[in-house]
Amino acid sequence: MTEFTKPFDSSWQAYLLLVPTFAVLIAFLYYPAVETFRLSLYQTLLLGTQKAFVGLENFKILATSPEYQRSFVISFAFAAFVVVGTLVVSLFVSYLLFEVSRGTSSYLVAAIWPYALPTAVAATVLMFLMHPTLGVITHYLEALTGIELDWFTSGPLAFVVVGLVAIWKQLGYNIIFLVAALNNIPETLTESAKLDGVGRLKMLYKVYVPLISPTMVFLVVMDTIYAFFQTFPMVDLMTSGGPSGATNLLIYKLYRDAFEFNSLGKASAESIILFVIVAILMYVQLRVSESYTHYGA
Amino acid sequence: MSHIQLDDLRKRFGDVEAVRGIDLEIEKGEFLVLVGPSGCGKSTTLRMLAGLEDISEGELRIADERVNGVAPKNRNVAMVFQNYALYPHMTAAENMKFGMKSAGDYGDDEIERRLDRAADILDIPELMERKPGELSGGERQRVAIGRALVREPEVFLLDEPLSNLDAKLRVQMRAELLKLHQELQTTTVYVTHDQTEAMTLGDRVAVLDAGQLQQVAEPQELYDFPANRFVAEFIGNPAMNLVPVDVVEDGGEVRAEHEGFSVGLPDQAGLDDAVGQSAHFGIRPEDVSLAGNLPADAPTHEITVSVTEPLGESLLMHCDVGGDEIQVKAEPRAEIRPGDDIEVGFDEERLHLFDQSGDAVYHSTSATPKTSEAPLTE
Amino acid sequence: MATNTESTAATARPELSDYLSDDLVIHGLLVFSIVLMGLPLILAVVMSTQTPSEVYEVTNVGIGSQGLANYQTALGEYNLGQYMWNSFVMASIIVVGKVALSLLAALALVYYRFPYERAVFMFILLTLLLPVPVRIVPLFQLMADLGWANSMLSITGPYIASATAVFLFRQHFMSIPASLVDNARLDGVGPFTFLVKVLIPMSKGMIAGVSVITFIYAWNQYLWPLVVISAQEKQVVQVGIRYLQGASQSGLTQWGLIMAGAVLALIPPLLVLVVLHRPLLKTFAIQQK
Ligand SMILES: Nc1ncnc2c1ncn2[C@@H]1O[C@H](COP(=O)(O)OP(=O)(O)OP(=O)(O)O)[C@@H](O)[C@H]1O
Ligand SMILES: [Mg+2]
Repeated sequence: MTEFTKPFDSSWQAYLLLVPTFAVLIAFLYYPAVETFRLSLYQTLLLGTQKAFVGLENFKILATSPEYQRSFVISFAFAAFVVVGTLVVSLFVSYLLFEVSRGTSSYLVAAIWPYALPTAVAATVLMFLMHPTLGVITHYLEALTGIELDWFTSGPLAFVVVGLVAIWKQLGYNIIFLVAALNNIPETLTESAKLDGVGRLKMLYKVYVPLISPTMVFLVVMDTIYAFFQTFPMVDLMTSGGPSGATNLLIYKLYRDAFEFNSLGKASAESIILFVIVAILMYVQLRVSESYTHYGA
Repeated sequence: MSHIQLDDLRKRFGDVEAVRGIDLEIEKGEFLVLVGPSGCGKSTTLRMLAGLEDISEGELRIADERVNGVAPKNRNVAMVFQNYALYPHMTAAENMKFGMKSAGDYGDDEIERRLDRAADILDIPELMERKPGELSGGERQRVAIGRALVREPEVFLLDEPLSNLDAKLRVQMRAELLKLHQELQTTTVYVTHDQTEAMTLGDRVAVLDAGQLQQVAEPQELYDFPANRFVAEFIGNPAMNLVPVDVVEDGGEVRAEHEGFSVGLPDQAGLDDAVGQSAHFGIRPEDVSLAGNLPADAPTHEITVSVTEPLGESLLMHCDVGGDEIQVKAEPRAEIRPGDDIEVGFDEERLHLFDQSGDAVYHSTSATPKTSEAPLTE
Repeated sequence: MATNTESTAATARPELSDYLSDDLVIHGLLVFSIVLMGLPLILAVVMSTQTPSEVYEVTNVGIGSQGLANYQTALGEYNLGQYMWNSFVMASIIVVGKVALSLLAALALVYYRFPYERAVFMFILLTLLLPVPVRIVPLFQLMADLGWANSMLSITGPYIASATAVFLFRQHFMSIPASLVDNARLDGVGPFTFLVKVLIPMSKGMIAGVSVITFIYAWNQYLWPLVVISAQEKQVVQVGIRYLQGASQSGLTQWGLIMAGAVLALIPPLLVLVVLHRPLLKTFAIQQK
């Protein structure tokens, strides 16, 4: 990064330029976030018209609620499923892209387009194609393998189906970063291994994966955040959290507690728990990228 | 009265003192070159002149006006940078006009007039509608100089403007810069780390090391009368040989004694203090000659050749003399091989002595230095 | 490039044919994966031309008899045209607002000397920890208090400032050579001229990249509009798809119609991605560093 003496030194002008950004951030991000903290200490009664200070009671209720505990565990399991699934598939596709087209991008757009796929669209399309009775995919899957994809009644199947939708949508984003990371590897690092006749698969996990591990960590963090925060439309459109809570992710539960049951205090406490999760993930990302800085420019 | 005056100019970056008290006067119309090794503070000094860097201590005057703290645009200086600093999205013409336009002090006619004139002087009218990406390095640097010209400044500041060019173009541009300066006679401060460039361009050359001025003099004088070891080694290529000697008096004659040779120093004032001390003896490779080229009675010394480097116009030899290495320049086709012992003599007119602190105590040339600006080494 | 290095490597050893067939396998696998990724979309397009009864014949995967009629119905009768317009206006406002605000903020951060610079930057960056769900309840109440519920303001306002965009522009500005900035100082160029004549023209790619990311992100919004917009005619298209799900004809869900809606809701961001993928990729390359 170039060092230069800054050309302008009028502080008030600088602050003036920052005012619009600050106004928005304070009004719509910091203030509501602080309010969330405050609200999480209250119990709301009578459809939110009254509230009473209860301290950490909301957190205690959540911690001891079997429903919330289940939702918590399911969300982590879901995140793990989505992260692993997305990374495995996109690593495979990215490696193929990298091998056939070092430098060119002929296939690239055809592989990254799911980045533009709206979550609600992904959910709607796969919901139909994997529909237990009408779905083409369901039909041929059963014809070929005998697996009955009855995810309207089976919790585990619903979990998997929603997970597949989440993976599908997230592939584009992952492939973008993985291809970039692979292309950034200096050719000299891999040429000697190639000359030694190291097989392609072995190259992938012995040479490439270690070299792009900073990117992989970054993607693990981003995909986890995605699995926790961006998956609301899938649950809302496909399962409404069911069957019997099998896809009741934290984000969906938060929505219902807040806007269906009007338990604003409890919902705020749930928001705080989500905040802690993002904070931890971001912290991990920061630490890891710091310890890997010797890789980058 | 001098045009630019630097009075004990200092610059600190946090704990680092990049410029440590520079006193310098630059005459109106002079071409002054600031030269020194990388990191010695040349750019920092130049940027203080431009106003791009705040002055930590000391005083700077331009045209007899104190300009510490005056904004760059009000100093009437123009600067040319090593990497051209052209805006990539503007054509050459737009780049050259941009400063004047944003200043808002010039009418359109005036701007066009100056633009045409600068383009003519630099011989680049046909490049004016091209963007920097469509220009070669040399052409880009011409446009960058053009941008400085159109401002018709009182002072030109150039920071290694030729370093990004290839060797041949550099020589050509050097000549053009000289011609330009002769034409315009604008006071110019030119920064470079290349001593050849410094010698060929400068009316005077200021040698800088570690933030301190080592010597300011005309090029030839710098070469003949280096004020200290640093200047002696920095100016001239290959560098001056320096070997430790003992200075002794032997029957009315002062001699420099070394393991491998003993040289009589033609008498001169100032040597008295050195007698009985150890010192560094300096001789340039081109001032050492093979015995065959010397009068028969000239004193010679035997040295052993360890490596030879044919340079084309001469043969450079790395030789061993009494355990120290010296370099010798001989005629190009001399039949000399590594391992040979050869007889050489030193040019009596070109001997130098430096004391333990590195200051010059003796130059054997009979001519005296013309201007004697005191070196700053306290 | 790849074929070059590989064939040279291969000719050195007796495995040329191995490598060639290997390459074919790789191309094959790649095409297979890409088709698989696109298959749901292709099927959705096909199904969007079918009538409910055609849809209910599960093995019928041919073009249906509806042609583009489902699209017409979705856009008109089911108001999807209105929803798409709403989405488009929302996304455009967010893109323009975010780019403008972030450029100004980055200008201040990179080119101005002022007290508490670091703190200001941290203050902006820390908002990365505050996605909508973390503040959704008070934000909803705030919109109600401001009287913004059901308005375009409510679905754009909270999105027009962004740590990511400020960060990206800041990185980009810092990569502009110092001598260009010095030159501007020597010329006494003012901040407004500097922004308009130098920074913006030199940041076109980055502005395009940030715009694409922002457009796709904004178009994808679902939860927040669902919460804050209750008047159907003000709704955005992602939530609009949800309204289609209720559509049925003589007891059969109109899946063809729903698929048409889904395809429509995908077209704008997909177009933006295809057209502007280059600046997008470059921008991402910077973001990750
Ligand atoms: N902005 C800065 N902050 C801290 N230190 C600096 C800064 N600018 C320069 N320095 C330091 O000041 C010293 C002199 O730097 P300067 O750029 O003047 O050197 P220079 O003689 O121009 O070298 P070069 O030939 O490599 O350009 C160096 O040690 C450098 O690291
Ligand atoms: Mg420099």
